[in-house]
Amino acid sequence: MTLNSDILAPPGTRVPLMGNEAIARGLIEADARVVVGYPGTPSSEVIMALQPVSRQLGIYAEWAVNERVALEIALGASIAGVRSIATMKAPGLNVASDPLLSSAYCGIDRGLVVLVADDPGPHTTQTEQDSRWYAKLAKLPMISPSNPQEAKDFTKVAFDISEELGIPVILRTTTRVNHTVSDVVLGEVRRIQQDVKIVKNEVRFVRAGMAWNLERHKWLNSRLRLAEEVSTKYSLNSSSGRGEICVLTEGVAHEYVSEVLEELRLEDRVKVIKLGLLYPAPRKFLLENLAECKTILVVEELDPFLEEQVKAILHEENVHVRVYGKLTGHLPLEGELNKNQVRNAIECIIRGLTPPLTTRSEHTLSPQDTPPRPPPLCPGCPHRFSFIALKIALSIRGYKLSEVPVFGDIGCYALAVYPPISMLWTEHSMGASISMAIGAKIAGYTKPVIAVIGDSTFYHAGIQPLIEAINKNIDILVLILDNDVVAMTGHQSTPAWSLSESGRPLRPVSIESIVKSISPDFLATIDPYNLDEMISIISEIVDRPGVKVIIAKHPCALLERRARKVEKKFYVDASVCRGCKACITATGCPAIVMEGNLARIILEDCNGCGLCTRFCPYRAIKLLQGDST
Amino acid sequence: MRKIVNILIASVGGQGGLTLSWVIARASVLDGFSVKTAETLGMSQRYGSVMSYVRLGDSVKSPLFEPGEADYILGLELVETLRRIHYASGSCVVIVADEYRPSYTQSIKYPALKTSDLVEKIKSLWGRTLIISARKLAERAGSVRALNMVILGVFNAVSNLLSRESIERAIREVLPEHAVSASLRAYELGFEYAQQAR
Repeated sequence: MTLNSDILAPPGTRVPLMGNEAIARGLIEADARVVVGYPGTPSSEVIMALQPVSRQLGIYAEWAVNERVALEIALGASIAGVRSIATMKAPGLNVASDPLLSSAYCGIDRGLVVLVADDPGPHTTQTEQDSRWYAKLAKLPMISPSNPQEAKDFTKVAFDISEELGIPVILRTTTRVNHTVSDVVLGEVRRIQQDVKIVKNEVRFVRAGMAWNLERHKWLNSRLRLAEEVSTKYSLNSSSGRGEICVLTEGVAHEYVSEVLEELRLEDRVKVIKLGLLYPAPRKFLLENLAECKTILVVEELDPFLEEQVKAILHEENVHVRVYGKLTGHLPLEGELNKNQVRNAIECIIRGLTPPLTTRSEHTLSPQDTPPRPPPLCPGCPHRFSFIALKIALSIRGYKLSEVPVFGDIGCYALAVYPPISMLWTEHSMGASISMAIGAKIAGYTKPVIAVIGDSTFYHAGIQPLIEAINKNIDILVLILDNDVVAMTGHQSTPAWSLSESGRPLRPVSIESIVKSISPDFLATIDPYNLDEMISIISEIVDRPGVKVIIAKHPCALLERRARKVEKKFYVDASVCRGCKACITATGCPAIVMEGNLARIILEDCNGCGLCTRFCPYRAIKLLQGDST
Repeated sequence: MRKIVNILIASVGGQGGLTLSWVIARASVLDGFSVKTAETLGMSQRYGSVMSYVRLGDSVKSPLFEPGEADYILGLELVETLRRIHYASGSCVVIVADEYRPSYTQSIKYPALKTSDLVEKIKSLWGRTLIISARKLAERAGSVRALNMVILGVFNAVSNLLSRESIERAIREVLPEHAVSASLRAYELGFEYAQQAR
């Protein structure tokens, strides 16, 4: 990622920042010293934005092997006396949930913030998880910005609140805050005295003492009760307008509400209450501001989290007001909100109608006019070779593709689910490929079972399942697709690198050594570009007993293209091509398109892998001679 | 000017649709506008269907706008532009490169289309459409990858929203160094083309 040098601009400057860059600036302003995370859309750019300048600023900004390790590093740094943050996407917090809950009991010394980026939609996430429930579960305060400006400001506030309460604070964002570019006014960069020391305190830090745990639980509840009072001075919550109808909102939904009210010219008739402190819901603030309200509409992304909290508070205080929102069908329980939905909900309330109002009809074209564009593997992608080799090897051994389950994992290779490769049976959670394959075998599945996992996912959560497979003598084939990078999230480093993005020297940890050390029954490292070798080895070992591991090692095609120019390119000889589409149906390479009745290779997209040449029955695909750029 | 200008950018992943949105956003801030962007991306690094939103004005709150609200649709590819044409508001100007990237689905499932068919289809749906030979101009500027900047040039000549200085600075700040000169040239070529076409 090219550095947006504006994250270093002087205080008072108004600059365009992406929400994640704004959080990075917030970390600089807050004098955070340790910034760790695991890549995950839409959270990754916080660390990516910091890395080009982190060493000059004295900030440790690096990727950790997974989210729980990241959070534990941040916790360790916090109790050692420096401000720390762990960043992750929503499923990452599931991985880090174990240390999250314990960290609430031990508390912090210097501010500890956990950034979790939810993804209503979802756009790039396996579930529409609402991470706000983690605040309730872990009994930790949660704050949430509505836009990049607040993302920066609230990052600073999160550290202050964390230190005042002595517990971690969860900073929760959604895609439309993380990835939105907006004008942001920068603030002062603080320098805070941060002395590195650790004070031994078993009651705080040792969870083996049950009496201590009970004591800490009481302590945690007492701290959480102070959250509203402590946060009041930071103006996280606000209200505007007046009227008997009140919209209670948070996050980016507030931006939709403001605009809709403006468009409907209702700013003076409807009161808007916006919460920045989502948990615990600010009881005093709400009761004061809801005093004159007769009707409340809660507008929030994902689950009816605030809706339930506000109902509970009103019930406890014996206030009788109708509360509308997701539970009353005014807004949907699934998917991302948009202005039309918010407008409908508000109009229903104003006009006393029952939802849903009919939405505006959209102009629709036939799929023939605008056929869907499923996301493909890139031209030259080494994963394409691995999957095609697997497909061919299974056919050679007489297996039907419908009888050999391929358990997949999280990464670019999951795109192999789409035609024409169509080789992926599952994609679940980090590391689940190997574990689920083990389960299928234990259940008694007799045909071969295959697990496919990427390099970064293997480091993240694949090692333990492989230990399990070897320890239990499971008959599976594990393909580790090693493209030397966390590709899908934007090319972050893996533990195999010798230099991090910040310029920090690293000691590479090799996947091969790890696998070798736990002694599978078979291990080979192959470059999948050697398709014939891949095919012959897979077909040789696929139904052998025991754990077979193949490391298919070839760099990500995009990375390789960037590192050195594409050395060769191929073209379709139009005088030979008969338009049979074999090149496309075999590879699904997006650099090959049908034009008229013939295939054509988009020259600037060809990465020169030559895979397509193997499938043309007429040898119409030829190496381009001369200058290929 | 009106309070908020809504710009929708339709592209195929890898064409530089996001980069275009960042350049417009950056130039807008330099020119004193309030701005918000958003995007729908999908999971692939490249070749997926990408839509980006840019909104600029006195005070912009929502990063998204709805179908029927776009003042400008900037298309880097014909099918993707067609896919988003319902975002056009009544006064919308559609500026689209005559670039056709058939998807896998298109190649396998449907009869091949010609670029001219797509151009006609868009024109029949939306009268105020400018079809730009953006690839040719980008090649003349030194790189086909600068196609997005050709469209930016046409957009700014038509809309007259942003200053030349801010756009140049934004290009220098957003694009990698090796792409700056071709991008600036492509912007100029697009701008001149639109002025001559008037």
